[in-house]
Amino acid sequence: MASLSDSEYHDRSSQAMDALTEYFEDLGDELENDNYDVEYSSGVLTLKLATHGTYVINKQPPNKQIWLSSPFSGPERYDYDQEKKTWFCRHKDESLGTLLSREVSEALETDVVVPIN
Amino acid sequence: MFSLAKQITPRISTLGRLQQPSMKLGRAVGARFYHEKVIDHYENPRNMGSLDKHDPTVGTGLVGAPACGDVMRLQIKVDDDNNIVDVKFKTFGCGSAIASSSYITERVRGMNIEEALKIKNTDIAKELCLPPVKLHCSMLAEDAIKSAIKDFRTKRGGELRSAPASA
Repeated sequence: MASLSDSEYHDRSSQAMDALTEYFEDLGDELENDNYDVEYSSGVLTLKLATHGTYVINKQPPNKQIWLSSPFSGPERYDYDQEKKTWFCRHKDESLGTLLSREVSEALETDVVVPIN
Repeated sequence: MFSLAKQITPRISTLGRLQQPSMKLGRAVGARFYHEKVIDHYENPRNMGSLDKHDPTVGTGLVGAPACGDVMRLQIKVDDDNNIVDVKFKTFGCGSAIASSSYITERVRGMNIEEALKIKNTDIAKELCLPPVKLHCSMLAEDAIKSAIKDFRTKRGGELRSAPASA
């Protein structure tokens, strides 16, 4: 599978990061929890999930990856899979969206479906 | 060759510098500090140095990438019973990366390589109280020991003597 060009990486990662930011901001508005916070700057998304811990999701341009730090499952790296059209971790055999949806749903005890490819 | 990067301020890959309280776009960014355990490893790194990579009993693991900001080289010397009898590291990167690799060399010294393969990045992160953004450093240290063991095994041509039977 051919790897992404720099501009493709830039577009796809920005798309994903923007979608995540918007989703978690909206979720925060719904929850109205003082301990919930979302911040996105310089390619780094920081999501404070109430008392559960902090997610850090960031672009990693040298590797053309998105890096995740989860308070539940720890660090992970995602490559853009052009066949699956999603940010995918071969090591865990699942996409970033799937992991986030599962973990955040469990933590917040509500149905969360993170809309990123 | 790598030199131990004595960086005064920590780095996170492409994110720019983390430092004491700073004003950014008119808003104060919270102060962040290194845990004292990380500072201890940074100032007193354990097992810093190198082993002879041509020695058939030495496995060398090299992980990371300069572009990402962290590179770790971890070397192990293994005896006939597959025990790690010596270990050295050199790391280029932030304080957390240096501490993670220093700490893992302490852990694996004296271990059988099968045991060493079981070390998880979560153990390292917990011990050093790494913040979320630095968990990747602990993952890299786990990668480094696995890489060193893999190199050792490759050199041995897959001919592993079995570990001593436990009493």
